Amino acid sequence: MSFWNRRTAEAEQQGDGLPSRALLWLILSFSLLLLPQLDRLPPWLIAACIALAGWRWLAQQGRVRLPGRWLRTSIMLLLVAVYLVRVQGSFTVDTAASFFVLAVGLKWLETRTPRDFYVLFYILVYLAAVNFLFHQEIHWALINIGSIALLLVGLQVLNAPELPGGLKAGWSRLGVMLLKVLPVVVLLFVFFPRMAPLWSVPLVSGQARTGISDTMRPGDISNLAQSSERAFRVTFGGSMPEYRDRYWRGLILDNLDDGTWRQSRYEPRRRPGRVSVDGGVGQLAPLEYDVLMEPTDQRWAFALQGSVAVSDNVIKESDDLFRFRRPADSPVRYRLARENAERPSEESLTPGEARRFLQLPSTGNPRARALANELRQSSNDIGVIRTLLTRFREQPYYYTLRPPQMPEDGIDSLLFDEKRGFCAHYAGATAFVLRSAGIPARVVVGYQGGESGVGNEYLIVRQYDAHAWVEAWVEGQGWVRIDPTAAIAPNRIESGLREAVAEEGSFLENDWTSAQRYGDVAVIQWASLQLDRINYQWQRWVVGYQGQSQMDLMSRLPGGFGMRELGYLTAGIVGAGLLVAGLISALQLRHGGQRDGYQRVLEAWHQLCGRVGVPVRNGETPAVLASRLAVAEPALADSARLFARMVNSHYYSDQSARGATDDLQRLRRLLATMKRQLRRTDKKTTRNAPAQASLRKTL
Amino acid sequence: MRKFIHSRWQRWVNRRIPRSDVQLLTQRNLFILPTAAGVVFGMLLLIMLITGINYQNSLIYLVTFLLGAVFVGAMHQTHRNLSGLELTLVQAGEGFAGDEILFRLRAAAGKDDAVAISLSGDDVSVRVGHVPSHQSVDVAFPVPSAFRGYLRPDQIRIETRFPFGLLKAWSWMRPHSAAVVFPRPLAAPEVISAVDDGDEAASSRSPEGNDHAEIRPWREGDMSQRVMWKRFVRSGQMVVADWEADKGSPHWLDFNAFPGADHELRLSYLSWLVLERGKNGARFGLNLPGQVIEPDTGPAHVTRCLRALAIWGEEKPRDAFAEPHGTRSASDPAGRSGATSGVRS
Repeated sequence: MSFWNRRTAEAEQQGDGLPSRALLWLILSFSLLLLPQLDRLPPWLIAACIALAGWRWLAQQGRVRLPGRWLRTSIMLLLVAVYLVRVQGSFTVDTAASFFVLAVGLKWLETRTPRDFYVLFYILVYLAAVNFLFHQEIHWALINIGSIALLLVGLQVLNAPELPGGLKAGWSRLGVMLLKVLPVVVLLFVFFPRMAPLWSVPLVSGQARTGISDTMRPGDISNLAQSSERAFRVTFGGSMPEYRDRYWRGLILDNLDDGTWRQSRYEPRRRPGRVSVDGGVGQLAPLEYDVLMEPTDQRWAFALQGSVAVSDNVIKESDDLFRFRRPADSPVRYRLARENAERPSEESLTPGEARRFLQLPSTGNPRARALANELRQSSNDIGVIRTLLTRFREQPYYYTLRPPQMPEDGIDSLLFDEKRGFCAHYAGATAFVLRSAGIPARVVVGYQGGESGVGNEYLIVRQYDAHAWVEAWVEGQGWVRIDPTAAIAPNRIESGLREAVAEEGSFLENDWTSAQRYGDVAVIQWASLQLDRINYQWQRWVVGYQGQSQMDLMSRLPGGFGMRELGYLTAGIVGAGLLVAGLISALQLRHGGQRDGYQRVLEAWHQLCGRVGVPVRNGETPAVLASRLAVAEPALADSARLFARMVNSHYYSDQSARGATDDLQRLRRLLATMKRQLRRTDKKTTRNAPAQASLRKTL
Repeated sequence: MRKFIHSRWQRWVNRRIPRSDVQLLTQRNLFILPTAAGVVFGMLLLIMLITGINYQNSLIYLVTFLLGAVFVGAMHQTHRNLSGLELTLVQAGEGFAGDEILFRLRAAAGKDDAVAISLSGDDVSVRVGHVPSHQSVDVAFPVPSAFRGYLRPDQIRIETRFPFGLLKAWSWMRPHSAAVVFPRPLAAPEVISAVDDGDEAASSRSPEGNDHAEIRPWREGDMSQRVMWKRFVRSGQMVVADWEADKGSPHWLDFNAFPGADHELRLSYLSWLVLERGKNGARFGLNLPGQVIEPDTGPAHVTRCLRALAIWGEEKPRDAFAEPHGTRSASDPAGRSGATSGVRS
């Protein structure tokens, strides 16, 4: 079978169905809509989509033929089979979105008529909506809305292939239309009642997310340090805490086994559902802070030590940790508050807890155990901790993103041989030594630091701020934070990773595209921060405009606005919008644009004549029309003739001689008289002889 | 029931849009409704709204509202496409029955562009395309003709779906003037004329007293004068006397020269003859009952004769309730008044 058949009659025929330019817009829009999906779609699907759309385009050019029914069916079966094999029965929104894309790709092969064009139009519009489920940043929003605009231009080309004024006119027509409707869109967006979900649907994505995990092997966090992706952003009600106090606790790892730290507690698998994105409203109190977290697909939330939950989408659990009720599958905002005073903790650990935080593998790392025994002998708990930290500070330990491999007895070789490691190494080693010395200890994983956004309005915490440190139980003081990294590389804690590894030059060494890598170039830094601020405001006020924020906004308006009132208001906005549009068009017509009063009166007169059955002929003068009217309606004869004379004198005689408005007034009055007379005669004839009236109408 | 609603609707439209050769499209006579694509689009918006509600996604709300507002904006735009447009029937054409008669229309845009407009009739449709504001475009609109006589389309639909094809705005033009459809030329058996040269009275010549008449049963198309009424009174049978007409002058084309043929057939013969004479440049006159055209030559004369043949026995349609074209064969149960075009007494 040869597809490379130049300009066959069939191809010509297909060309008739759809204008090439319209198809081009459709394909453009499709490729634009694929962009937000690129990171989640399997490569084979992207390749298949490009191939199918390209095939369609070549067919439009007449270079190849569209596949026949059999070939089309087999392509479809093949791709669907590949899809099913790849998906393997896991049905998530993610796989549904992929299937959607696959459907669009297959549809390209049978886009022959305008009908198919519309089908694709609908699917692509919905694809844009689906894209919003995964990406809500402002640039993705612009790309999605832009591709919808492309579709609308494509529709214009489809409906008028000879599109007057070219594409420029098409775009400006669309632009003007969008500008005109913008106020209504904004009003609807603000006032349309945000209802609770009608039914719950999981948005579980199979995509791997960058972020901390609930297991820690030495070297894990140094991978994260190579990513400048945003983890979360924080706005403080009062002043920001000092850099060295910005410890964002995420989870606690308390079980060491085979060199890996894990959570000992079984994290119950919750019923899948959407995370609540209602994150508290209103002005921030001085000690409160808002966290806008990127999706992690995990339940944990990050908080400063000693915080309490303010918004009700996070709950405080044991060990001073915060959890969402459902995995954070979309950007989620929550609100916490720092507690004012340090709470002295009087209670002591229960035997169970003590066992939990003293757990150690039975063998391994003999030198570290010996060190612990040695320390234990010489002093009490506080003394052990102090001595250990002094050891870190004074001996040549290095903080590095390029740690050596330490496969056997990693803690021993770190502490006594290599002395080079990242925060995860040191935290793990510290916890090990403390536990060996009989001090309950746990590894805390989270973030430390964060750079200020534009104008110090908020804090941006990125993946490379990921950090691990240790908390130890000191009788009488409770859990005390111990950060070996602070002893080894104070820079890391005071001003961040960039400074800490500046000598080594390993900061974001594999991430060429990240703006943070070029933090020393002022312009790039500035632009990146400005962009981040725009996105932050966008996420806070547009993306995050949901139930509670709406209710909060409404409660500030005068008059109690509830859900019901919002419903009425929305209906009102739609109605009023339509009404205003109607009124404007009616006024435009009535005033006839730039037509002057004379023309309007004249037109009204023509209409009257038309009603009586004397339609105006082309090029007829008022006088002739008047005489014809006089024949049809003798009662109007005098007024009509006078009217015609006055119109003539207005248009054909010296303007300055008369008062123009006076004339117009008289014409209007005359017209009114004629209408009255007409009504009177109408009534008379209908009363006397209805038949005659109808006869007059028919004539 | 559907037929009833349809006829009521047609009557309402016809009242609203009187017959006129000039039709200015305004709100009074413009109609606008979503197309099928528009209805599906509305359902799509509903689905998107539900998606937005379910996933609590503000941006999906935003896009839904945006597209909804675009739909309303498109309504405005589609309406404005036609509003202010003036349709004028410049010339109602002429032609032979069975051909398509061209109506020349002029579309003059008002202060807005008229984009992607099309005209359509019962089974024809013409793309007019784009009329820039304050300019005009001439269109030839073909109307199929079936019978000779006056022809005017009952309604010419003018429609646009621009910009997005989600809505259609339309109106009708109901032309006042009618085209003239000549009888379809049929080769005449043999040219005979019963008219003597210069004898005008011959047109009223009657078959009475003609000896070699042949009696045959009445069939449709025979003139009532030729029915032998006396015999009808006697026997109740309608018979017709056929007779051999005198040979007349070849200069005259005579309506009465085709014995036994019905009127339409005669007119078709005559039409053919007129064309033939016209082609040969011969001099000829036309004799119709009630109308005589003196012998002459030239294309103007040919046209004049053809017109006379076309409208013989027809009345010029002028009222608002003219029958739609092509429905001459008594398909109109409404029993409209006698002033209709097609009904012959």
